[in-house]
Amino acid sequence: MRHPKGEWPGVNTLLRAVGDSTVGKSSICQVFHSDNSHFSKNYTMTTGVELLVKLVNIPDSKDKVELYMFDSAGKEIFSELVQKFWEQPSVVMVVYDVTSEVSFSSCAKWLERVRCQKPETKLPGVVVANKTDLDERRIISPKAGMEFAESNGLKYFECSAKEMQNVDAAFYYLANEFYKLYQEKVEIFKTMS
Amino acid sequence: MFDVALKSAGASVVLASSSDEKYPPENIIDGNSDTFWSSTGLFPQEVVITYTSMMRMSRIEIACYNVKNVMFQYSKDIEPLNFQDLFEKELDSTDGQLQLEEFPVNNVEAQHLRVVIESGHDHFVSIHKLTVNGTAIHG
Repeated sequence: MRHPKGEWPGVNTLLRAVGDSTVGKSSICQVFHSDNSHFSKNYTMTTGVELLVKLVNIPDSKDKVELYMFDSAGKEIFSELVQKFWEQPSVVMVVYDVTSEVSFSSCAKWLERVRCQKPETKLPGVVVANKTDLDERRIISPKAGMEFAESNGLKYFECSAKEMQNVDAAFYYLANEFYKLYQEKVEIFKTMS
Repeated sequence: MFDVALKSAGASVVLASSSDEKYPPENIIDGNSDTFWSSTGLFPQEVVITYTSMMRMSRIEIACYNVKNVMFQYSKDIEPLNFQDLFEKELDSTDGQLQLEEFPVNNVEAQHLRVVIESGHDHFVSIHKLTVNGTAIHG
């Protein structure tokens, strides 16, 4: 994250997307990253790390957030390097597939794995219910998703990466939350001398 | 003996991994602990300070907040390259007050000093003041 002097892009945010494989983590990140113009039709399993970077404007300010999207492998094949990079994510996105009970019940496990790495640090997060386009096959209700989110201090979103619907909202929310956290911390730094 | 890292003595920050213009890295070497440099997310973070000339360093003092693992390195080259390790320390969290640390440096000669913050007690860390006691090496 080195930038030549005078070229600071904005608050640097590492977003870690977690969830079972095939829930659509990569698709969601790619759709957001490519301004809703890309959806990979052929599913390719993420074997290592995929890091996408996007600048996000903060409303009502000239500030920006530089969002690094880290789509961790759903299958548990991790290198030491990946482990190290995981240690300090800025925000977390827990994704499930609304047609899969298993993927929904895995959310708690995924969330815990991220949170236990730095339990004392506040970690803004969202729950994303994906594949809302498969309405007739949906088995996880919005209510169940919302309740899980609420009981874990997360914000609930639903989207369809395939139809490129409502994908952006969760990312903008997380970028804003981390930006707000930065503003709060700077106020604390100001009180010290 | 004087503070060879002081901006008013001619030292400068030549690289910083975060540079929010409201809390720029120059605040580290302005001699005032009310002003600070803030990291803006992610680790590691680093700052490189270049002295006016080759200096013989005897003590480094740092005032910072939320820093966990910090490493100091130095370079004798004209360009800030080929850094060698000076020392490394894990700092305790100090809720509500600055972390104040002092490190004796056994007359190590350097043209540049690099501070690497490998991890923090929070997402963001600040450095309020860095003082390097030393003398210029003449001839």
